[in-house]
Amino acid sequence: MSAAGVVYVVDDDPSFRRAVTRMLTAAGLSVQSYSSGPELLAHLSADAAAEESGCVLADLCMPGLDGLELQQACTELGVALPFVFLTGHGDVPSAVSAMRHGAVDFLDKCAPQQALLSSLEQALERDANARVARLKRERLEQRFAALTMREREVLEQVVQGRMNKQIAAALAIHERTVKLHRNAITTKLGVRSVAELTTLTREIGLFEEPRQSCP
Amino acid sequence: MSLVTTLWSMQAAAALTLAVLYGLVWSIDRRNLANLTLCIVAVAMAVAARDEVRMMHAATTTEYGEWTRLIYLPLFFALVGQMFFVHLFLGTGRVWLLSIIVGARVVVLAGNFLTHPTFAWREIVGLRQVTFLGEQVSIAGPIVLRSWHWLSLASYLLIIVFIADAALRAWRRGGAEGRRKALVIAAGVGIPLTLTAVYSQAVLLGALPLPFLVTPSFLITIVVMAVELSRGFILNRQTRQELEELRAELARAGRVTALGQLASALAHELSQPLSAILRNAEAAELHLNGPHPDLDELRAIVTDIRKDDQRAGDVIEQMRSLIKRRTLQMHPLALNEVVEDVISLVHSDALARHVALDYVMTPGLPLVSGDRVHLSQVLLNLIINGMDATQASPAYNKRVVIEARPREEGRVEVAVTDSGPGLPAAAIAKVFDPFYTTKSGGLGMGLPISRTIIEAHGGRLWAERAPQGSGLTFRFTLAQAQGAVS
Repeated sequence: MSAAGVVYVVDDDPSFRRAVTRMLTAAGLSVQSYSSGPELLAHLSADAAAEESGCVLADLCMPGLDGLELQQACTELGVALPFVFLTGHGDVPSAVSAMRHGAVDFLDKCAPQQALLSSLEQALERDANARVARLKRERLEQRFAALTMREREVLEQVVQGRMNKQIAAALAIHERTVKLHRNAITTKLGVRSVAELTTLTREIGLFEEPRQSCP
Repeated sequence: MSLVTTLWSMQAAAALTLAVLYGLVWSIDRRNLANLTLCIVAVAMAVAARDEVRMMHAATTTEYGEWTRLIYLPLFFALVGQMFFVHLFLGTGRVWLLSIIVGARVVVLAGNFLTHPTFAWREIVGLRQVTFLGEQVSIAGPIVLRSWHWLSLASYLLIIVFIADAALRAWRRGGAEGRRKALVIAAGVGIPLTLTAVYSQAVLLGALPLPFLVTPSFLITIVVMAVELSRGFILNRQTRQELEELRAELARAGRVTALGQLASALAHELSQPLSAILRNAEAAELHLNGPHPDLDELRAIVTDIRKDDQRAGDVIEQMRSLIKRRTLQMHPLALNEVVEDVISLVHSDALARHVALDYVMTPGLPLVSGDRVHLSQVLLNLIINGMDATQASPAYNKRVVIEARPREEGRVEVAVTDSGPGLPAAAIAKVFDPFYTTKSGGLGMGLPISRTIIEAHGGRLWAERAPQGSGLTFRFTLAQAQGAVS
């Protein structure tokens, strides 16, 4: 298995929990097992755990907090881990609900080993990708946060494709000042072209609201 | 003895025999009031037969008038009894019409005992001797009527209208049995009464030189009533016997049905150990494929596989013992174990349906005498019913509580209470009727079968409103086993 990360196994049946943990460990995965939803939540709410990437392999039917409720509780906790559900007797409404909440897969407890492993691999990969994207976006947001109010105003005009002269007129400043602001923006954001600037701005969702104040 | 006396005595004897017979039948099953009405009509007829003979043998007008006056009393009971019989038998009589008739007959009866010689007659002008059945009998000569004599006649007409109307409505309502009953009433009660009314009127007006006679037509009516009632009695018995056989046969089917409801839950119960075995086998395979297999781990895996195999076997054994067809095998049983076994069977079903199952166990509960399999079936049925009842309840209020506690006189009582919406009192009374069900997919056999089983154990099973909350409680009692305490 290539994907890194922890598989959190949650099942109330001790025998099955032990068996699946054994099998996944033997298959080269890093596994932590919990006998109930609240037990996993307690672990996840500790600070260090949030840093680890991983996925949850949960029994759908458990006393107290069932699989779907655990998924919801994780979302509320701000831990967006991908879920793979196991069930003894899969029913369609639960499956639909689970998939709608972002479950990776919904498997029978006796599903073939390969299906289970590939679902987990997919889930771990999805979590890893999500973490990379989250990190990238966080960095980008930090860079945008460094811009001054005036620089933001200039940036908004630039991504709309306006010339320096037009921008100067619109903001009632000198054309040379506009150029200085543009240099500052490209330096702070680390971009070289207007095209790149536009892409980044769109990616982070700046200036999405409809404009109101322009003449 | 004269022929008239002989014949009339025989009529009275026949009527009294039927009266005693149906009086006894009624005393056994008091719900069937039709038997009581027949008893009353028959007694009244026997009394009327005596009065008629006395009238025919009267020597003076005073004597004749006295017996005519007395015959009004049996006449009242005979007529009213017949009306009630028609009403009970067909179920289509108009109650207001019945009330008017009874009222009119009460007025006639009361008036009759305040006047002389009778309610309708002012005076009997002499007696005549006529030949009747080869014998000389007395009949009234010209009769002077009172102005209100029409009330008596009107009540007769109303009675005929009542019967005709009830029979017609029963006929219109249709159904082969309903139409047959309508015809029987019209021919057996309506026609004799009409003939009697016409005949009496003809005698009264002097058109027929014969004595007043009501008993021959009443005898026909009583015989028809008796035949109809015994027919119903015989048919009922047959149905009851067939139902009993059906119930015994369905006891087994009921167990299978209960298992059918549980099929998915049992599949889950089996899938748990089976999937654990599968994952353990896969883990073992991965270990064996590695360069240095961990023998301790492999041993642990094999031990677990063996345990899970045992677990799956137990589930199957429990299922098989429930399906088997067997007669009762009474043994001393620890009720706690039986309840716990059944709860473990329905455990995953309850989980999937978000129903909390609570077992309130009384420590030191005495052993009961019973058949484990059959009692499990009853408990299974009651618990599944309870879970079904909570289906529409909000998730926080889905609860089935099972309680077992010792009762007085060496009995143990088990109660299964649900937190569902409950049933109205009328429906609670019906839950043990075969084929009565409040569930869309229900057969209506679970509870009657359960009751049969508990009664076969010498106990009782009944339903009542839950002591707390809105739901239902089913309770059954079992006899304590001789001797030990568990």
